[in-house]
Amino acid sequence: MKLKMLRCAALLPITLAMVHAQPASQPPDLTGVWGIYRGGPGADPKFAAPAPGPIVLKPEYDKPYQEKRARESAAAQRGEQLDNSGARCIPYGVPSMMAIAIYPVEFIQTSKQVTIISEAFSEVRRVYLDRPQWKIEDVAPGYYGRSVGRWEGETLVVDTVGIKPAASGYRGIPHSPQMRVTERIAKLSPEILHDQITVTDPVTLEQPWSFTFAYKRIPNYEMLEYVCENNHEYIDDQGVTHLRLQDNK
Amino acid sequence: MRILQAARAKVCCAALIAAGIFAAAGPVLAHHSFTMFDMTKRVTLAGTVTSFEWTNPHSYIEIDVPDEKGAVKHYSIEMGSPSILMQSGWKFSSLHAGDKITLIMNPMKSGQNGGFLSTATLPDGKVLSNGPRQEPPPPPAQK
Repeated sequence: MKLKMLRCAALLPITLAMVHAQPASQPPDLTGVWGIYRGGPGADPKFAAPAPGPIVLKPEYDKPYQEKRARESAAAQRGEQLDNSGARCIPYGVPSMMAIAIYPVEFIQTSKQVTIISEAFSEVRRVYLDRPQWKIEDVAPGYYGRSVGRWEGETLVVDTVGIKPAASGYRGIPHSPQMRVTERIAKLSPEILHDQITVTDPVTLEQPWSFTFAYKRIPNYEMLEYVCENNHEYIDDQGVTHLRLQDNK
Repeated sequence: MRILQAARAKVCCAALIAAGIFAAAGPVLAHHSFTMFDMTKRVTLAGTVTSFEWTNPHSYIEIDVPDEKGAVKHYSIEMGSPSILMQSGWKFSSLHAGDKITLIMNPMKSGQNGGFLSTATLPDGKVLSNGPRQEPPPPPAQK
């Protein structure tokens, strides 16, 4: 009996080592629903998204971009909002769909694919883990492009190309068909997820632009559908949005 | 339509908090900004719900409101989306046509008979806001 116990004791470190080693050989599971993390009193600063990097557009794109921002600002002063894709109920695409207002995103992970769903507009993107990326010119331009991913340790590195210029760029930044979006997605804790996004575009950007979205897990949340069926907004011929209301019917 | 109160008020309503969230530097706007509503004004309406639209991109309370002379005007009151409203206690069945309610809204700057909901008092007396569940703003960026 004593010998048997000794044998068990001798095996214990090996068994524990195997148990401990197993998670390290497996990528982390990102599956779950994640809401935009906004920190708050007592929050650990390391979980907050770092400030975004500078946006440095090429001069020929910067001038119209700044002019557009000025028009939007002037319109807001007048109580108006100018035309934008959201007001038209057009989905945002990559990368903006990763952080729309306060809507959560859901990750569904398998060994071959990570599927990401944004509750807003029910946007879906698929990250293939078992195949190489195509050349940009071989990807049909769309709102989500084509995404492939690989694990670098605990980090999911996602490469996306094929975003059409019509898709609303994050913060309205203009982008060309040559845009490439690289994401480094990792859990900082079991409850906190970061998506560090770097946008490169040799046509519109002078230098890569990086920003990070931070998320907090929302346990047991059931994602809602989002069909943009009741849009009261319309755009007039001056490009200003208005609400169509049932007043005085 | 009967306007019980139309007064400038402190900017403290849930709607404005929601607007602040939507305008935050991080996430993009879901649908539209709130510049078309006068967030410095709060108007109280009491009337009869004609429909409660639990829809995206926004939910709506359609409501008939009688004035002092008995004439009825119709108002369209914009709300958040179902996802946002659920965070402040709303359900798809919170209101029904025929319900008599009182609500406070931020009126349209255009003068149209509409506005953005601040709070609504349901027939059972429950008061629901239009704002999402609040988390405090993030701490200042680390230098």
